Amino acid sequence: MTANTLDSAMALIYREAMYLDECRWADWLSLYTQECEYWMPMWKSEDERNADPQTSLSHIYYAGKAGLSDRVARITSRKSPASRPLPRTSHVIGTGIVLDQHADSIVVRSAWCCHVVFPRHREAHAFFGSYRHELQREEGEWRIRNKHIVLLNDYIPTMLDIYCV
Amino acid sequence: MVPQALLGKLKNCIDDRPDDGVFRVHRDVYTDPEIFALEQRFIFERTWVFLGLESQLPGPNHYLTTQIGRAPVIVARGEDQKVRAFLNACRHKGAKILINEQGRQKYLTCQYHGWAYDCQGRNFHIKDQPTGAYSAAFETINHDLIPIARLESYKGLIFGCLVNDVPSLSDFLGDMKFFIDLYMEQGPHGMEFVPGRAIYSYRGNWKLQMDNGMDNYHLTSTHSSFLDVQAKRRNGDGNLAARQFDWEKRNAQHGGTFLFPHGHSLNWLKQPEVEKRPIWPVIDEIRARVGEKNAQWMLNLKNSVIFPNMQIADSTSLLVRTFRPISADETEMRVYCLAPIGESADRRSWRLRQFEDFFNPSGFATPDDTVIYEDCQSGYQSGGSGHVPGLFDYTQGCERGRSVLEQGASATARELGLNPSASLEGKFDVQQEMCFMSSYREWHRLMLTGAAEDSVVVRRAGSMQ
Repeated sequence: MTANTLDSAMALIYREAMYLDECRWADWLSLYTQECEYWMPMWKSEDERNADPQTSLSHIYYAGKAGLSDRVARITSRKSPASRPLPRTSHVIGTGIVLDQHADSIVVRSAWCCHVVFPRHREAHAFFGSYRHELQREEGEWRIRNKHIVLLNDYIPTMLDIYCV
Repeated sequence: MVPQALLGKLKNCIDDRPDDGVFRVHRDVYTDPEIFALEQRFIFERTWVFLGLESQLPGPNHYLTTQIGRAPVIVARGEDQKVRAFLNACRHKGAKILINEQGRQKYLTCQYHGWAYDCQGRNFHIKDQPTGAYSAAFETINHDLIPIARLESYKGLIFGCLVNDVPSLSDFLGDMKFFIDLYMEQGPHGMEFVPGRAIYSYRGNWKLQMDNGMDNYHLTSTHSSFLDVQAKRRNGDGNLAARQFDWEKRNAQHGGTFLFPHGHSLNWLKQPEVEKRPIWPVIDEIRARVGEKNAQWMLNLKNSVIFPNMQIADSTSLLVRTFRPISADETEMRVYCLAPIGESADRRSWRLRQFEDFFNPSGFATPDDTVIYEDCQSGYQSGGSGHVPGLFDYTQGCERGRSVLEQGASATARELGLNPSASLEGKFDVQQEMCFMSSYREWHRLMLTGAAEDSVVVRRAGSMQ
């Protein structure tokens, strides 16, 4: 039962990565609940990350799906120099662990790495860290209610967008 | 000593002929490694550089680490409450002592051989000194951390300089102090950096950031996707929590620029949507404290460069940006969110969402700027090349607004009691480029002064050909 639940949750997390890597933006957005929280905190110091998005800086913080749809609007506008040509990405995700689960929700921690190549500069970088996904079941399907991203290498080469993490 | 050929190149870097209406910047200033090396010595190591905020050092034994030119620096508050700055290097073998960006530590101990200092810079421990069989001479020499030549602060901003021979910080900042007051007096209890900072780098020269932070002209082209997202939000669709401004309204506003001595400049614009400013809910408190005129100017949009490597932008929310040259074609950026100490929770989160939306390297505007710097850097490789001498050498990036540039103070400057070396006023749509002259003129002055003094010193040493 536990293994199956973890498998089904990880399947959604892998699917999210695939949608980002394949630029399937509408499919990616469809994975999130309307009231979702998307949060990637900044580091406060070498040893400590910011713990509260209301009192400290985040790389990205959205309370609601509208922020994510803004990102997609910019990426697909063909007018953003940073997004054109669009950097190509490859996510690798592993070590999924269930932190908490209930009948219709689950909290999963996983490790991620995303290789990014910027065709504009012909340079590749890797971003990496961990995810904490809170999923909830809606009409029998998992949806992302909360995604917390720990970005470990926060010395950012040039820029970073939602597809890089 | 600066070789004759390089000196000639330096002279030609800035083609500044005010009477002919000409101001041109040579591409070499962005690409030449020899010029870069001289910039470290003649600019960063010979002028005031922003180090941090006094509020980052709230009590004894708090420290922050930073850099002036090539030199790593510690700024620390001693047990006597005094703020001092030292080279961040152990007197023994020269290793960097403090690694973290900030912290609180009573004893500053070098991790190499364990020499230890206090936050006043005094060496109080040389590991295993009694068994070291040191000479009598060693016992008599000073082992304290080396203080930097000058350290002064203005309204909570700490600046340092590696040489003595510079004007006071107050004279260096000049009329920029009026605008620093507007930034640093927004809170009744002073200003602080909100926890967190973004650090990013780009493959381009540091002066590309110096320029772009003051560039109005790129908004509608570089940031057209950002403007589209704003238009979408105006129709109620999108992240309204960012409370972003209607930039198209800004285009119709009255604004201008002031060019100040020592390389500083300031762009300003009337703010059409004052209710989106995070200080708006407390504007009555601010008016009572700083007066009607200054409160209004706090609401106005302002972008400023404090030469050489600090920018304060009060446009969406309040930003402090520093840029550290790594090489001619690499720059490290740091951005901080400046906010009133004790700000209410709702205004703090409002400020954060505005800041992240625009200024973050993961935001909607900054990444589009940063990749363009890299495109400029690639384009500048053509400096000095081509079959027509000089054809590829100079950019045409300092032209807009020339026919409306006023020498000295404009009407607004006079009203504020400011004395800029030049100013310009009009609607935003001029999208002036005149402000850039200020920093490049100071850049050129410092480079040529440094080169001249360098030659003199070497001549005295007798090694000149």
